[in-house]
Amino acid sequence: MVAPLIELQSVSKCFRAQRTRQETWAIRDVSLNIGEGEFLCLLGPSGCGKSTILDMLAGFEGPTEGRILIAGEPVGRPGPDRGVVFQDASLFPWLSVIDNVTFAPRLSGVAPSTYRAQALELIEKMGLGGFENHAPYELSGGMRQRVAIARAWISNPRILLMDEPFGALDAQTRLEMQETLLAARGQAVSTVLFVTHDIEEALFLADRVAVMSRRPGRITLDIPIPFPRPRCYEALIADPAFSRLKQDIVRILRQEIVARRETDRA
Amino acid sequence: MNEGEGVRRLVLGLVSVTSVTVAWESAARYGLVDPLFLPPPTEVLATAVDLLRHGYRGSPLWVHVGLSLGRALVAFVAAVIVGIPLGVMIGISPIFAGLIDPFVQFLRPLPKLALIPLVILWFGIGEFSKVFLIFLSASLSIVVGAAAAVANVRRQQIRAGKVLGAHGFALFRHVMLPQMAPELFVAVRLSLGIGWTTLIAAEMIAADAGLGWMAVNASAYLRTDIVMLGIVLLGLTGYVLDLAIVGLQRWVTPWAGRS
Repeated sequence: MVAPLIELQSVSKCFRAQRTRQETWAIRDVSLNIGEGEFLCLLGPSGCGKSTILDMLAGFEGPTEGRILIAGEPVGRPGPDRGVVFQDASLFPWLSVIDNVTFAPRLSGVAPSTYRAQALELIEKMGLGGFENHAPYELSGGMRQRVAIARAWISNPRILLMDEPFGALDAQTRLEMQETLLAARGQAVSTVLFVTHDIEEALFLADRVAVMSRRPGRITLDIPIPFPRPRCYEALIADPAFSRLKQDIVRILRQEIVARRETDRA
Repeated sequence: MNEGEGVRRLVLGLVSVTSVTVAWESAARYGLVDPLFLPPPTEVLATAVDLLRHGYRGSPLWVHVGLSLGRALVAFVAAVIVGIPLGVMIGISPIFAGLIDPFVQFLRPLPKLALIPLVILWFGIGEFSKVFLIFLSASLSIVVGAAAAVANVRRQQIRAGKVLGAHGFALFRHVMLPQMAPELFVAVRLSLGIGWTTLIAAEMIAADAGLGWMAVNASAYLRTDIVMLGIVLLGLTGYVLDLAIVGLQRWVTPWAGRS
């Protein structure tokens, strides 16, 4: 069997509050494998440590215990081989749309002719055609997030890390963005780790969903999502299998909350 | 600020300035105050015309204005060149901050007048002493502002930069510096006010021309009209300098406050 692209081996992460020196375990003993080309959604309540996992894969933070391997190697410093899309688009406000999108290739010093056409094509594909010279503050929240995705995508990253990228958008825009993401991903099979607290979003997007418990985060459920691609949102929500999966996940998250209350009381 | 708001502010400003000027003129003209204490605007204007023609103590009025402006501008440019890198280094390196910060914090609130005797002893009574004094007060305030600008760079933007391949100097140049730019402008703008204030102190160092010197010198001869003219010109020039900085800020960092 081929080794998975991403391996988390009994990973724990502890943060120490700067003033009180108090330790908080964000995640505890998490083991998780993600195969090449897989779309994995990490689902869980706020503060369960799902973003911590993403930060460690990006290289922003190191694990306190355990090992994280990408293609068999320990995670190096952040770089364009692992694209990251944040919840707030985190665009550079002093750069136009096209300059934001081409930030990484421009920095690497290659000739503009090698990436400019690709950038324009990507902007077009993300539904931003005609906006390449706009400033970020002239765009809506959804459009900014499209720019952020194009900016991460232009380097053809092997791994795309997305941290609740559509969490701040309204329901309609969110669905539109989810569809754009799936369509744009198309055949270009990159591995995606998508963090969300929205069950329907996870079921619509993912090949596999890993559900996390509250802090300290653990993986409590890890299930494949069997729906064939390309997926249609309307057909999917009408599918009884979709409702069953959703109910299962809701039940697990609920049990988790009940169990938590009981341990708190004890 | 939209256009309508801008026009309204301009109109309000004109109304208020005109009213105060008219009140000032009437107060002097109808004998409410002694013109020696408060010469009316028309007299100040007449004095301005006179000084433009005949000069004050051997120098035409424009020389006084130009000299003060020149001293201040040279000092500002030097303050920006020295202050911003120093402040940024304090902001970035805790070790550097620990070494340098005590001196900055000691000197900054110190009234620069207190330094005049030392500055004269060290550098004499030439132009350098005057420029140095303005430079000192302006650069100290820029240092503090620049250090604060570093502290306010958002972690998320740093992360975005790193993940796009910007590390070390590239991260500073392409992510941190542009993000700090609006705040650096604020620091420069504040220091401009502080430096301009120091001008009078600087021109008390044995000058024989300059707006600050002119006002101080005229007061010795009870020429209140010239004192008033000096004050008005100092204020106006400071105002114009401030407008220039704001204009430059809008042009260089149009995204400021909009993201």
